[in-house]
Amino acid sequence: MWEIGLGLLGGFATALKPLYLYYALIGAILGTITGVLPGLGPLGAMAILLSFTLTMDATGAMILFAGIYYGAMYGGSTTSILLNIPGEAASVVTCIDGYQMAQKGRAGAALAVSAVGSFMAGTIGILGLMFAALFLADVALRFGPAEFFAIGVCGLILLVRLTGGSLLQSFIMILVGMALTTVGVDFLSGIERFTFGSVELSQGIDFLPVAMGIFGIAEVLTTVEQKELLQKVKKVRLRELLPNRQEWKRSMPAAFRGSILGFFIGLIPGPSPVIATFVSYVAEKRLSKTPEEFGNGAIEGVAGPEAANNSAVGGAYVPLFALGIPFTPAMAMVLGALMLHGLTPGPNLIKDKPDLFWAVIASMYIGNFMLIILNLPLINLFVRILQVPKHILMPMIVLICIIGVYSVNASQLDLFMLAVFGFVGYFLRRVGFQAAPLILAMVIGPMIETSLRQALNISGGSLAGVIFRPICLSLFILASLTFVIPLALKIFKPARRGKPEDPKKERRSPDE
Amino acid sequence: MEGRSRVNEKITAAILLVFSLLYFFKGLSLQVGVPKNPGPGFIPFIIGILLVSCTGFYIVRVFRKGDLGGKGEKTSEDEKKNYVAILGITACAVLFPLILETLKFLITTFVVSFFMFLALKPKKRAFALFLAAGMSVASFLIFSRLLGVALPMGFLETFFFRLGG
Repeated sequence: MWEIGLGLLGGFATALKPLYLYYALIGAILGTITGVLPGLGPLGAMAILLSFTLTMDATGAMILFAGIYYGAMYGGSTTSILLNIPGEAASVVTCIDGYQMAQKGRAGAALAVSAVGSFMAGTIGILGLMFAALFLADVALRFGPAEFFAIGVCGLILLVRLTGGSLLQSFIMILVGMALTTVGVDFLSGIERFTFGSVELSQGIDFLPVAMGIFGIAEVLTTVEQKELLQKVKKVRLRELLPNRQEWKRSMPAAFRGSILGFFIGLIPGPSPVIATFVSYVAEKRLSKTPEEFGNGAIEGVAGPEAANNSAVGGAYVPLFALGIPFTPAMAMVLGALMLHGLTPGPNLIKDKPDLFWAVIASMYIGNFMLIILNLPLINLFVRILQVPKHILMPMIVLICIIGVYSVNASQLDLFMLAVFGFVGYFLRRVGFQAAPLILAMVIGPMIETSLRQALNISGGSLAGVIFRPICLSLFILASLTFVIPLALKIFKPARRGKPEDPKKERRSPDE
Repeated sequence: MEGRSRVNEKITAAILLVFSLLYFFKGLSLQVGVPKNPGPGFIPFIIGILLVSCTGFYIVRVFRKGDLGGKGEKTSEDEKKNYVAILGITACAVLFPLILETLKFLITTFVVSFFMFLALKPKKRAFALFLAAGMSVASFLIFSRLLGVALPMGFLETFFFRLGG
């Protein structure tokens, strides 16, 4: 406990340096802007800015990214409440009751509750991160290659299960991502793989152009394919921002529950902030004495999900800091930034670089505080960004992506990769493929390969020696349960209900 | 006539299968090794087999779905999409690395930005020219001077670099 207190104090000493405060502020502003803009989420912003973090030190880069992530969660709620447009996926649920509240003239109260709830959740999430990451990192120091292989595989499988969409398509994306990581010189044998004699390919396919193409350029292409609709923005006055006593009383317990729920959901692989909002909304509706108000402007329906998505961000950082494994695409970007700075994430990171870990934790507190101060008075300004025409904004984003990729290696091949993966990403989205599994596989892939080869070496070539270890077996069982349970439910559900009386009626019901 | 999305699905499935087969057969030339001492081709071999199986299964599913009832699905949504903008922006992203070393940063950025603006708003040519010029100079000053990014320099860049102080 004493150690935690000292670490946190040290973290504040670092994070309160003017340069880091500046990075936190920039991150918070950029995050809010990307949260406000529909289409460009925190992932896109991180991908675009990934290369520019090279001009900073690792701590600065982490602080900037944390600010972007939290800022996007705040910003997303603004457009959901005022315009019924979710700025990013985690704000979809907020639209339901937030927009209804705005229609009833309580937009200010909804925004204030969402900001205060987010602040509360951010703080709870950070507290959880602090304790959970330290504990998990301590345990992870005893892990061998077999355990890391199991964690990597289990993480990818859970991600496939929770991302949604077709299972087969997600598996294909994971395998393509893993295949891309095998390009280049094999680090164990020094033999070139899939390089086709190209010197540039022998260094492997960089994560950066692929991520920026698939998330940045593909996002732009998806945005420009639709007709532009400029939104008329409602003005919110400062004095309208104060919720009444009844609204406070109803929203704060919901925000607290959302915070706890969000943190634990954040630990699970997949789009945890999005899942957290849905789970919180359903939970609040079930717990409410007036469930009929949900969908018509229930303040709990804004406070709970908004808190949950912010808290899930803290949870998502736990596996990254403790195990070095990102469970969400946004965390893959954070990992990418760490790797660009020559840092190897994993259980040793907290031990070897405690200043970085604690500075990031402290900056999250500071960032949350900045966001609450920034967001409420500047709501009208941020919303006005929506009025910048798409035909001006989108070429700017493309140009930033291009310069960003070029600035890292000054490589022509990287620029081609950016363009190719941009188009491929757009095309794959159109046919229903998800990009997240590919990116995560690209990040976790090398770790899975190294761990498996090392584990097989240690076990004398016995696969049983890799699988039947207590932690590994538990993880594999957990992963297989995610397939067995839905299958079992599918089989037993009709049997429980009995045979359908009228097949026509049965077919009609989903539409109803 | 088949729906455009169904055609896209078929194209994607075919490309993925070709990629998988290429990856698998190229991977066979690498040394797989034995379980006790896996070689550089061990993981590519496993990935290759899984990829070919999954993409094979996917292509069968897509083509079977097409035969059963995926006809006549051309939606009005497909027609509304701004294909000129999509292809224009992709072409500009490909064009940038091709001309960067020859034309250097400022002219390349100007040309690429101009075509991107044009792809999105074809009627506003003068506006696109003005915006592209402003954006190329601004981006050069921001990235090269403020952020210290090493960009390809010609006489124009040197002039602006000096102008910036």
